[in-house]
Amino acid sequence: MADQELERYVRQMRWRLERTPISRRGFMWASAMSATAAFLAACSGGGGTTSAAPSAAASSAPSAAASPSGSAVAEQSFTVPPDIEKELFMYNWGDYVDPNNMKQFQEVFGVEKFTYDTFANNDEMMAKFQGGAVGQWDICCPTMNYVPAMRDQNFIEKIDPSKIPNLKYINKAFKGQWWDPTDEWSVPKDWGTTGISVRTKDVKEEVKTWRQFLDLVPQYSGKVVFVDSPDDVFIAPLKANGYSLNSDVKAELDKAREELMKVAPHILALDSDQYNTKIETEEAVLGLTWTGGILELRDKPETADVVYNIPEDGTVFWLDTWVLLAEAPHPIAAHAWINFIHEPQQQALETETNQYATPNDAAKEYIDPKMLADPAIFVSDEVLAKLEPQKDNSGIQQRADIWEEFKSKIGQG
Amino acid sequence: MGTMAEAAPQTPARPRRSYGSLTGLLVVPASLWYLVLLVVPLLIVVVMSFGEKSRLGGYQPAFTLDNYIDALDPQRVSPFITSLAMAVSGTILCLLAALPIAYFIATRGGRRKSLLILLLIVPFWTSFLIRTYAWLTILGPDGLGGFIGTLIGDSSFRILGTPFAVLLGIVYAYLPLMVFPIYVTMERMDRTLIEASKDLGASRWGTFRQVTLPITATGLITGSILVFIPLMGEYVVPAILGYGRVFLIGNQLVLQFLESRNWPEGSARAVVLIAIMLVTVIFYVWFVNRGRRTREVSVL
Repeated sequence: MADQELERYVRQMRWRLERTPISRRGFMWASAMSATAAFLAACSGGGGTTSAAPSAAASSAPSAAASPSGSAVAEQSFTVPPDIEKELFMYNWGDYVDPNNMKQFQEVFGVEKFTYDTFANNDEMMAKFQGGAVGQWDICCPTMNYVPAMRDQNFIEKIDPSKIPNLKYINKAFKGQWWDPTDEWSVPKDWGTTGISVRTKDVKEEVKTWRQFLDLVPQYSGKVVFVDSPDDVFIAPLKANGYSLNSDVKAELDKAREELMKVAPHILALDSDQYNTKIETEEAVLGLTWTGGILELRDKPETADVVYNIPEDGTVFWLDTWVLLAEAPHPIAAHAWINFIHEPQQQALETETNQYATPNDAAKEYIDPKMLADPAIFVSDEVLAKLEPQKDNSGIQQRADIWEEFKSKIGQG
Repeated sequence: MGTMAEAAPQTPARPRRSYGSLTGLLVVPASLWYLVLLVVPLLIVVVMSFGEKSRLGGYQPAFTLDNYIDALDPQRVSPFITSLAMAVSGTILCLLAALPIAYFIATRGGRRKSLLILLLIVPFWTSFLIRTYAWLTILGPDGLGGFIGTLIGDSSFRILGTPFAVLLGIVYAYLPLMVFPIYVTMERMDRTLIEASKDLGASRWGTFRQVTLPITATGLITGSILVFIPLMGEYVVPAILGYGRVFLIGNQLVLQFLESRNWPEGSARAVVLIAIMLVTVIFYVWFVNRGRRTREVSVL
């Protein structure tokens, strides 16, 4: 996994280098590339916690000008809060922040210890806090539909907008939404869709809708992968029948159950971490997946036939958000991080690493035009109109029961 | 202190008494440990199992038997049955694999005994997760699975995601837990008994069956229980090597605590699981010891 990550990163760096005219900045990128590779190799230990200590070169009196390995930093100026803490504890999805951004943040802001702990899905994260882990981390990245529940249970604190001037770059489409009407509790991170991955080499049929997808699953029995996430899996049967993906109507969920039980015996695996590898090795030729790790397969000759379809019968629109955790031990560093990551250039690097769309308008200037034009990432307005925001359905018992039954029937015909 | 000094002249057993209080003092840390980390959590689980799920997940106090009715619902007991089948077959396979290994090291090991034992321990130096992930590569489409598939000309053949892969992973992970107790009893066995058996005309198989096996029964029981109990709660191997296609009770517990966040329902299942394990282990010990005069229950 680590090697794959490294390879992906180096590839992106190389691509950036090719795109940039030979300039001082381009040269800096090249040297940053080798440094990043070493950094990645050092900190890619697998497991849950990646704790990155800064190099000895990191200045203890932080200021942008004093930063020893300036690279792109030299062009930017950061305001470093004078009383910033020396540590930052982040609780996040795996591999969800560009390591180079983490390193630069540490150097510029004098944060000596950056701890990055991971969770596999929102519910696991919620279970941690409900189990009493409040005060253990500073920032977290829940999907937007979990923000109200976190607020109601006092897991998060209000964010001080005066400490995050870069909020001005956030597109107004993401402001004042149902999950955070006053924009005080969360800051948008990035957004994406859940769709269908296809190895067109093996699957000749058209798979443009959830209906077609579900009907094809039995035909490719044992070669279909689903992400291990109830909210996402429910989209297929609900949307295929024209229902809302947030449905809590008994009859509609009964229908969804029937559809899910029909496909369960034919599924190879429920897998949120390695679904892209299964598509890559053709262990799976069809998938209900996110875009992460899938889109870059299209750039490799042996997997160029991979296609990611946003289903025409509609799918989910999800947005991950930065939140400030209650009793955060390092609130100033947490605010500084959120502001830093929404600097246009930092945000552009995030987008290119994670391959998810950014809500930050100013960052688009720095993003590869090819990526901006990719309909799988920055979807067209017409498709956008068909996307439905995810709501918090974790309290609906019928869904939980169906999910449990579905999970226990995987691969059992 | 005063009372003790007064009592001293009358009771000659005074040293014994202070010895007893010292022992009492020494077991305090262990007792506290068991109380705080075993008894209290167990009580919490039992209390929760009668509660209700709160609106946002987690636990809210109540008194209901719904969680138990749900846990024993015939439609939803399949993970218990799969777990039991996996644990029993896993234990038997471990036993079959461990017996010859332990026998060989104990009787033929000679000067290499320590080295052989060390070799058994070496895998433990690497994280269990990493070792399990390694099997993914070994059995995967680019490994053994793909190779056999090409040999038999069936491109859809695979090892990963089958009960076989899970059993393999389980036996691999738990084997040392079986080997060590058996090895220890075999090592301590009085070798002259075997000679005596041979002198009296018993065949090699007869000697093994009538002398070696009964003497090593303690090791066999300890090993089986050491393997069986964690196996009943196993969830990592089926999730990784079984692709989630082998759904055990451990996986269901993870699902209920972490995903559905229905702690009361998960707690009820945990209590049922504990009950199943108790019954199975007691039955096993009774079965092995039946008709014997001395009972080898020390392991419990």
